[in-house]
Amino acid sequence: MSSLGINFLGVDFKNPLVTSSGCFGFGMEYKDYFDPNILGGIGIKGLTLEPRDGNYGTRIAETPSGMLNCVGLENPGIEYFKKVTLPLMKKEGINTNIIANINGSTIEDYIKIAKEVENIPEIKIIELNISCPNVKDGGMAFGANPEVAGRVTKEVRNVTTKPLVVKLSPNVTDIAGIAKIVEENGADAISLINTVLGMAIDIRSKKPLLGNTFGGLSGPAVKPIALRMVYQVYKAVKIPIIGMGGIASPEDALEFIMAGATLVSVGSVIFPNPLLPVEIIEGMEKYCKDNGIANISELIGIVHR
Amino acid sequence: MFLEDCKILENVEVAKNMYLMKLKGTKAIPETVSGQFFMLQCKNSGVFLRRPISIHYINKKESVLEFYYEVKGKGTKDLSAAKTGDYINIQGPLGNGFIKEGTGKKVLVIGGGMGIAPMKYLLEELNNLGSNITFIAGGRNRGALKILDNIDLKGIITHITTDDGSQGTHGRVDMKMRELLEKERYDLVYTCGPEKMMESVAKIATENNIKCFVSLEARMACGVKACVGCSIKTKDGMKKVCHDGPVFDSTIIVEMNPKEKTETCCGN
Repeated sequence: MSSLGINFLGVDFKNPLVTSSGCFGFGMEYKDYFDPNILGGIGIKGLTLEPRDGNYGTRIAETPSGMLNCVGLENPGIEYFKKVTLPLMKKEGINTNIIANINGSTIEDYIKIAKEVENIPEIKIIELNISCPNVKDGGMAFGANPEVAGRVTKEVRNVTTKPLVVKLSPNVTDIAGIAKIVEENGADAISLINTVLGMAIDIRSKKPLLGNTFGGLSGPAVKPIALRMVYQVYKAVKIPIIGMGGIASPEDALEFIMAGATLVSVGSVIFPNPLLPVEIIEGMEKYCKDNGIANISELIGIVHR
Repeated sequence: MFLEDCKILENVEVAKNMYLMKLKGTKAIPETVSGQFFMLQCKNSGVFLRRPISIHYINKKESVLEFYYEVKGKGTKDLSAAKTGDYINIQGPLGNGFIKEGTGKKVLVIGGGMGIAPMKYLLEELNNLGSNITFIAGGRNRGALKILDNIDLKGIITHITTDDGSQGTHGRVDMKMRELLEKERYDLVYTCGPEKMMESVAKIATENNIKCFVSLEARMACGVKACVGCSIKTKDGMKKVCHDGPVFDSTIIVEMNPKEKTETCCGN
């Protein structure tokens, strides 16, 4: 095994670098810049049962060191993904691990889509996104309510044998508490953080800038928050972590690993720098070599020791 | 795909807040068609995202690219501050470009304000196809049309309109279009400019049974359909301005800038 090779939930990753859902399309969008198979894994665009158009109006706003988005889960739906997108990914030669991010508006939706994904052998890992508003129980995000977060994790756990990662929202007061609850309810791992809720106002129109009023903040601006949360969650749970939030360099990736992440994920910083994944992989390799580290797993959570 | 530092040959203010930047590629610039765009990095101002700027012109032999842009915010302000000899990282060419069906046809090209930007290269391509070209260029005032000095209009029937009457006909490009259509018949319309202008041009084209291609603008983060930030609703489903466009057949667009709200969901 190379210095970066790592086993995560029984799946071999050639390196700990993956992509964050919603920032890397379906793995083919950046193939003109680098071979997507150099990645340990690809987190694909969030899927729902039915196709979704997403939010109308402006979806993107730039912020200092980051951006807000309110895309609203635009995606072709699971059927289309199975029939068209996945065969296309295979045709394009994508053979690295695929992590499917699944979403729903009700617990029933989550169960149904998890059952669909269960039958797709190419999907190695399921990432349960619980940042969506829970339409049945008042519209509050699943991830913001510990009881509901636990319940949706348990229900999905019951219908899938695939490794189950639960993606946590940072928009909570007690991230470690939520992490513990999803662990107790059968999560195999935790990924964090999702975007931080924010907004922007257009002073010319005197209206919210984003079509959805609120949007998720990502980019280097959120990195210290994300790193702190990975640190806290690592302390609170025994299951592994996929760390993400504004990773913009190999140094950032190493910080997340040292805070407790087993895998690290690049998100929106790939937009301004399409070669970021290549730089991170090379940088991590160099760090291991320069510091006499046989395997990067030696660094996971090292800051706690 | 081209993701390279380019050397700035010149970066001049053509008119108030409107700049023309000429860049020389350190490598040969890949095949590029009019209507495509590049994502320009603005690293000095520290803005996070690149800025999508349409190609004004490309000199393939010399590997020189021209961008005509307006200073609107921090990123473009940063671009305008770049000096001759500085380097700038560009990514592209991106998008589909104008769909050329102009061989030997009678074509109406309509550019409004900054929408004149992609027309220099389009006019040359159409000329090479042997098209019969009529060009309507409009702007707020004389300054907005100063860029025309940089465009070779030889052999092109050109009409100029300004909102304030400081140059050409006092009025808008769509008014000029209607006027021309009273006497002339065109096979195709290519247009770029403010949304309202394009909506009006597309409507007139449809009323007259003329195929019309519009070049849209949208906020985007990636330029490669990964972020899904620039989606628009079309009759063929959601399309990405960065990838499926920026040029669209006007009849497939449901709304150029939909304001209606539907489901709500935060984040990705």
